[in-house]
Amino acid sequence: MFITLSPSSPEPMYKQITNQIRDAIASGDLAANERLPSVRELAEALKASAITIKRAYLDLENEGCIITRPGLGAFVSKIDRGRLRERKLEEFRLELTRIVKTGAKFSISADDLVRIIRGIKEE
Amino acid sequence: MEPILEAHDLNKRYPEFSLTNVSLETLPGTITGIFGPNGAGKTTLVKLLAGQIPADSGTVRLFGLDYQDNEKEIKDRIGYAPQEHPYYPDQPVAYTARYAARFYSRWDGGLFHRLLERFRINPEKKFRFLSAGQKTLFSLALALSHQPDLLLLDEPAAGLDDAHRRFLFDTLRGFVANGEKAAVVCSHVSEGLDEVAERVLFIDNGAPLLAAEKEELLARWKWLHFRDNALDASLLAQLKSISRHPFGSAGLCDDFPALREQLAGPMAAGDVKVENARLADVLIHLSQGG
Repeated sequence: MFITLSPSSPEPMYKQITNQIRDAIASGDLAANERLPSVRELAEALKASAITIKRAYLDLENEGCIITRPGLGAFVSKIDRGRLRERKLEEFRLELTRIVKTGAKFSISADDLVRIIRGIKEE
Repeated sequence: MEPILEAHDLNKRYPEFSLTNVSLETLPGTITGIFGPNGAGKTTLVKLLAGQIPADSGTVRLFGLDYQDNEKEIKDRIGYAPQEHPYYPDQPVAYTARYAARFYSRWDGGLFHRLLERFRINPEKKFRFLSAGQKTLFSLALALSHQPDLLLLDEPAAGLDDAHRRFLFDTLRGFVANGEKAAVVCSHVSEGLDEVAERVLFIDNGAPLLAAEKEELLARWKWLHFRDNALDASLLAQLKSISRHPFGSAGLCDDFPALREQLAGPMAAGDVKVENARLADVLIHLSQGG
């Protein structure tokens, strides 16, 4: 797993953590039943407070992404990856909206963008 | 453009500390920051520049003049705010100001009183009853009020709250804005003066570590966060201050533009993330002998 915190990001730290762990689950980087680092381990590694990590884990648990077992730690739950994929698609839609609108300002059409994406795929 | 201040190979030896081979050049319209850890020699350097103590060797020229022949004129044109306050502790601050006014040909009493008002310092208050931050502000007010061409400020942000710190930074930017005057400030970086300094000189143990334009320096120094095995050995070998943890590692690189091409792939894949380094990161790395 690869998690970093960016001090310059407008997202609060707990959200940066939930987003990255959710992505790791959605992409298969984290497998079902895999044990997550303890709150203390993660807090130390990211130089964040334990409260921040706890908040992130709590949100992930409420979303159904992880399960915490008292005394044992937090584990990736057997979540429907399709649901996470839907969520990711929505994020992509927002990002692409921004790109398409920026493109329009410079007379770059949606077709041009599609050609660019195909080109990247072929690399 | 003629420099406002030129110092070459300054040396000053004390029984327990020496400042060695420090050079510095300040052009009109610029703010220079001298940064270093506690005990690095910042105050000694500023005292040499302000003509408070003589150097053992080396030269200092201000406005093209040297202290030996033109001490009075130079001191009339520099606004030096020392870290240890040499003012009468049991006199009202207005008394110190009247005393100072006699030494300076361009003293502006109106400006001084406006500054005191802005800093909420009662002119009738005895100096020793001012708070630590107010003492710093009083020093700044004195230095500004004789309308100098060069400000030499030793830890000018010490003890200041956020609002006054911002006032200080705005004042410094405004001071040099017409392109004729200059400022030299020294500080340990965390006081925030790294924000306003355009040129930086790092010193440690009395010796210069690095002198650079700040923007150039920060364009080169970046934090790289990377997934394990995302960087090959040759790239890894170029990173400094590497910290490893189970969820990715981080290291400082000192020439990001040179590595950019090599990093493009892993950056696009999300295996490397780049963050701006702060001056403090660079200084800590250099002063710890990396």
